[in-house]
Amino acid sequence: MDVFGDEAFNVPDSTDWLGTPLACLMPVEQAFRCHVCKDFYDSPMLTSCNHTFCSLCIRRCLSVDSKCPLCRATDQESKLRGNWALREAVEAFKNSRKVLLEFARAPPTTQAAPTGQAGPSSPSKRKATELEGPKEEDPETKRPRRSTRSTRARVAELTAAILQEEEETTFAADPDYVDQPPDDGLVACPICLTRMKEQQVDRHLDTSCPGSPQAASKRRPIPAQTSQPSTFPSFNTRLTSQVTTANQNQKPPERLPALAYSMLRDTALRKKLSELGLSTHGSRQLLEKRHKEWITLWNANCDSSRPKKRTELLRDLDEWERTVGHPSTAAGGGGGGQQGLGLMARAQATGAQIKDKEFDGKAWATRYGGSFGDLIKQARKGIKRQTLDGNGEKADTKGGGGGEDGKEDITPAELPTLQAREGESSAAPTPMDIVPPSSPPRPGQVDDADTEHDGQAPGKDAIAEDTAMREQVIPGTPDKERQWETSQQQQPPIPGDAQLSGMKKPNPETC
Amino acid sequence: MPVQFAAKRLGKELNKIQNGLPPGIELVSADNLEEWLLDIRVLDNNPLYLNDTYRLKFRFGQSYPIEPPEVVFVKQADRPIPIHPHIYSNGIICLDLLGQQGWSPVQSVESVCMSLQSMLTGNTKNERPPGDEEFVRANKQRPKDIEFYYHDNTV
Repeated sequence: MDVFGDEAFNVPDSTDWLGTPLACLMPVEQAFRCHVCKDFYDSPMLTSCNHTFCSLCIRRCLSVDSKCPLCRATDQESKLRGNWALREAVEAFKNSRKVLLEFARAPPTTQAAPTGQAGPSSPSKRKATELEGPKEEDPETKRPRRSTRSTRARVAELTAAILQEEEETTFAADPDYVDQPPDDGLVACPICLTRMKEQQVDRHLDTSCPGSPQAASKRRPIPAQTSQPSTFPSFNTRLTSQVTTANQNQKPPERLPALAYSMLRDTALRKKLSELGLSTHGSRQLLEKRHKEWITLWNANCDSSRPKKRTELLRDLDEWERTVGHPSTAAGGGGGGQQGLGLMARAQATGAQIKDKEFDGKAWATRYGGSFGDLIKQARKGIKRQTLDGNGEKADTKGGGGGEDGKEDITPAELPTLQAREGESSAAPTPMDIVPPSSPPRPGQVDDADTEHDGQAPGKDAIAEDTAMREQVIPGTPDKERQWETSQQQQPPIPGDAQLSGMKKPNPETC
Repeated sequence: MPVQFAAKRLGKELNKIQNGLPPGIELVSADNLEEWLLDIRVLDNNPLYLNDTYRLKFRFGQSYPIEPPEVVFVKQADRPIPIHPHIYSNGIICLDLLGQQGWSPVQSVESVCMSLQSMLTGNTKNERPPGDEEFVRANKQRPKDIEFYYHDNTV
């Protein structure tokens, strides 16, 4: 517990108001906090059932379980609508929170003459006694204190009670709290941060502001939170809304559609990922999770009034990758039963387990080694037979003999390794990529090969076989293999490479 | 260390917990953001649970609160496992609230404790779940991997 006792884990919370005279702000603050992350609403979104959550929170929830976390009504990400009024309200509250809390906790008596006070009492205690009324204090201490206190402090104390009802009004009057921004009486342009007179900002924004909100978005929140709110709360809200609209007018980022992963083959999914500029590394399951997480991050960012830059989102994804997406912590089903609480751990399907990085390839290979071997043989036979049918003996000796030399050495035990290797060499095009998924059968191909140097043909066949093998290995489950097997048998014999391209044809990228 | 999302949320919960918990619930330890211990007591005069305190162990995953925490009763010399038709004698709890389906991210440690408290309060049966012995002997799975069939809507 001690670990959290100090600064590092001293999280702002609605209970901060307890013990201060502004305790009634606790429910107010609670109303501004998301039920999922318990933090202030970040890009609040309204569900179909009229509940509100942070964009990221509700998107995460819905992607796991398409239900509202509060009432369990079914909902979809696409139906979420931004709750902009609340966004502004939260923003305004956040901006004023620090000042309010300081005000509530530390009444401005500390700077008063030390004479009357025996020692500095704890803020909350002090505040409490003040609230309970002066009757508790004996006149001796009370009197000098009163007299030595500055007018300002007295004003503040008097307004403490009023504040409880009208939170927004008075704190600005106390100059104690405006020491963070340069005290030049100017305000910062919310976009380019140039400091100017308050009245000039509107005009400046309309005409001469040079800065792009995107570039400034990273820096903006800091001055916005420290400077303006304390001095001009109402003005600040106006600015916030202006920035909001400015950003939205400038570049409405496009939301990404969700993918039906079950309809996507590995290649297609990898392609989607690489189109998005994401890593194509890892197991199928990881690829799906990564894609899903990116869509969640991206779409939530689209709802933000200050969208992050792509690089920042990538960093977020990276962080996710290191923790939730990390296979070592996510391999729950595996040995030890330790942790295993990651998203991936939940996957119980056998198809998913083989894709796990911690998957025991050796055991799997000994168990299914026989059927792997059979399938490989069958695939080879098929190719041999077809080349034989199409091109006579010459093609057979070349394609069959040479190809087998190259590949027959692969024992079933090596197959999972092969698969793993493929996962790692994500950047390099895999043989699967080399064979164009939808390239039409090339009838002339085998004749070409016929005239080619004999040494080259086996290589080609090796690629073909390699692909064929991957086709079996990657889907992993015996069912898939059988399916592949039958589909292969049903295929009309097409010579050589063309057969393989043909095989892929019935499965275009997205169905 | 859980992903920041979980850590943040747990930090907030802890903060709140340290500011006070409902009667009958006490924080025993929360030395990290992965495992917390809490004690619960049944407040009314249910004879089944009178004068006993029960220890709950919470384990949080990296996807908390999107995914439910793992919650079990732990047995200690002075901390028995409460008798209940949905609590196995090894401390595993069959409660849909703690399962994938029944969990909601708006739940919290505090709300789970309160639910368990009321689950005990409302119980009148002095019995373990059917097949308790067999389950306790054979089960090697983690609670979250067990596919419970939640059939009792009266709890």
